[in-house]
Amino acid sequence: MPSDAVPLLEISSLSARYDAGEVLQDISLTMHPQEFLCIIGANTAGKSTLLRCISRLVPRARGSIRFHGQELMDQPAHAIPGLGIAHVPEGRHVFPGMTVEENLCLGAFAIRHRPGLAGRLEAVYALFPRLAERRRQRAGTLSGGEQQMVAIGRAMMLEPRLLILDEPSHGLAPIIVEELHRALVDIHARGTSVLLVEQNTALALSVAGRGYVLEAGRVVLEGAARSLAQDPRVREAYLGL
Amino acid sequence: MSRALVALALLAAALLPLALESEGYAIHVLTLALLFAALGQAWNIVGGLANQMSLGHAAFFGIGAYAATILQIRFGLSPWLGLVVALALGGLAAALISLPTMRLRGHYFALATLACGEVMRVIANTAAPLTGGPAGISVPFGAEGVWMMRFEGGRPIYWLMLGALVVVTVVFEVIRRGALGYRLRAVRENIAAAEAIGVDTARVKLQAAVISGALTAALGVLYAQFNFFFDPDTVFGVASISVRIALMAIIGGIGTAAGPILGALIVIPLEEFANAALSDRAAGLSQLVYGAVLIAMVLVEPRGLMALRFSWTFRPRRASA
Repeated sequence: MPSDAVPLLEISSLSARYDAGEVLQDISLTMHPQEFLCIIGANTAGKSTLLRCISRLVPRARGSIRFHGQELMDQPAHAIPGLGIAHVPEGRHVFPGMTVEENLCLGAFAIRHRPGLAGRLEAVYALFPRLAERRRQRAGTLSGGEQQMVAIGRAMMLEPRLLILDEPSHGLAPIIVEELHRALVDIHARGTSVLLVEQNTALALSVAGRGYVLEAGRVVLEGAARSLAQDPRVREAYLGL
Repeated sequence: MSRALVALALLAAALLPLALESEGYAIHVLTLALLFAALGQAWNIVGGLANQMSLGHAAFFGIGAYAATILQIRFGLSPWLGLVVALALGGLAAALISLPTMRLRGHYFALATLACGEVMRVIANTAAPLTGGPAGISVPFGAEGVWMMRFEGGRPIYWLMLGALVVVTVVFEVIRRGALGYRLRAVRENIAAAEAIGVDTARVKLQAAVISGALTAALGVLYAQFNFFFDPDTVFGVASISVRIALMAIIGGIGTAAGPILGALIVIPLEEFANAALSDRAAGLSQLVYGAVLIAMVLVEPRGLMALRFSWTFRPRRASA
């Protein structure tokens, strides 16, 4: 682990609450450049909220989130993509009335990076050849898996330093899930750091290098993905072994 | 639509008044239709691209009409300079209205904006020393000349309205095809996804509202110069302006450049025809017929007449695909 370098993402004593109560309590997490990190845990453990805190979508959060040393808590939500963090939200939020290509272009439009647009599109189509075939089709008419590809492709149009994904496999057929995870490994291999939240623990631990386990808003375990997969507590609670 | 077709239509529209009687009724109706086409187009920026159904555009329209006319009466200011003042005031008013209402969606946004137009109507009715109150206000007569927008016959003001429609349509198209248009569509289609890709949704809505409000106020100035006389209930009216503006785009087709133009060319002559043909029969009969025709149009094609055209041309292709 390259722990000597400046951390890519450094979260310390982060707490967040919604009206119903505390969702995250005193979370600390470090992510290094080029890492593939996963966060696992049960429903309501606070995994999505943690990602939403990074994207500044949770107004009532306290603590510190540093990205390359820069404090994110001072930034408005719409400034986050410009800093190099692309968030693929849970539930495949595509723009249904727009074509696949328009959806992708919007990923880059929002931060005024028009030069290099064609090259970025080609990179996304190389990652998901299926999208190239459907570039003129309305995103709302795609299958769930294809919509997820659009959402990930749109995020990659930013050429982010950090890609964060919230349950990309949720509700998809196993064959598509495998294809998506291959794409994530590919994205990581090309130099993008990936932070993945997944309920599918086995898959998450098979693609990530390191993982954190969240339980009721707290970090309860942390370590290399391989050793987490062997940990009896993880095996019992999340892998059903 | 191809460029050649647009150019041809524009040329025909520009030459048309030469074939009509200069002081005639037809040219008056067409000028009004051009004005409302331009108004519908300005509304289209907010209503079509951002999908915020404003029913308060009379606020901007009236502000423009009153501001320029009052400045002309008091200081002899040219309506051309009045246009500049109206653009600024309309944009400012739109920003002020937009800030508290932009988080509202659907019916709630429509109702909030409706109230804004009504507030302006009440203010104009009570501020009699400035606005003339319910008695209305007249554009002062003066020597003919381009500088004071005083022309002989109906043709110059027709061309002026045509020019205004072209300008507003170009602004609409530039926005629609540009980065702002894409951001607006993103906000309209999925606000959460728009936030996720870094669209400042509040700022985008504000920009659209300010541009739309400024243009609408400028068109209010042209209306004053066209009609010479107006009162608060006409320029700030819900039915006469706010709903009518929205109607042009809704009937023609929301979100398309051709929609409000088509809508105005159908609705305004229809209104005039219903009034002329039926007003002496029974009280309210003309409005009844006019309303029935509008309801029929919306029932036949809720997406507007533009959609009807598209479904005709594209249906065979879809069937074969």
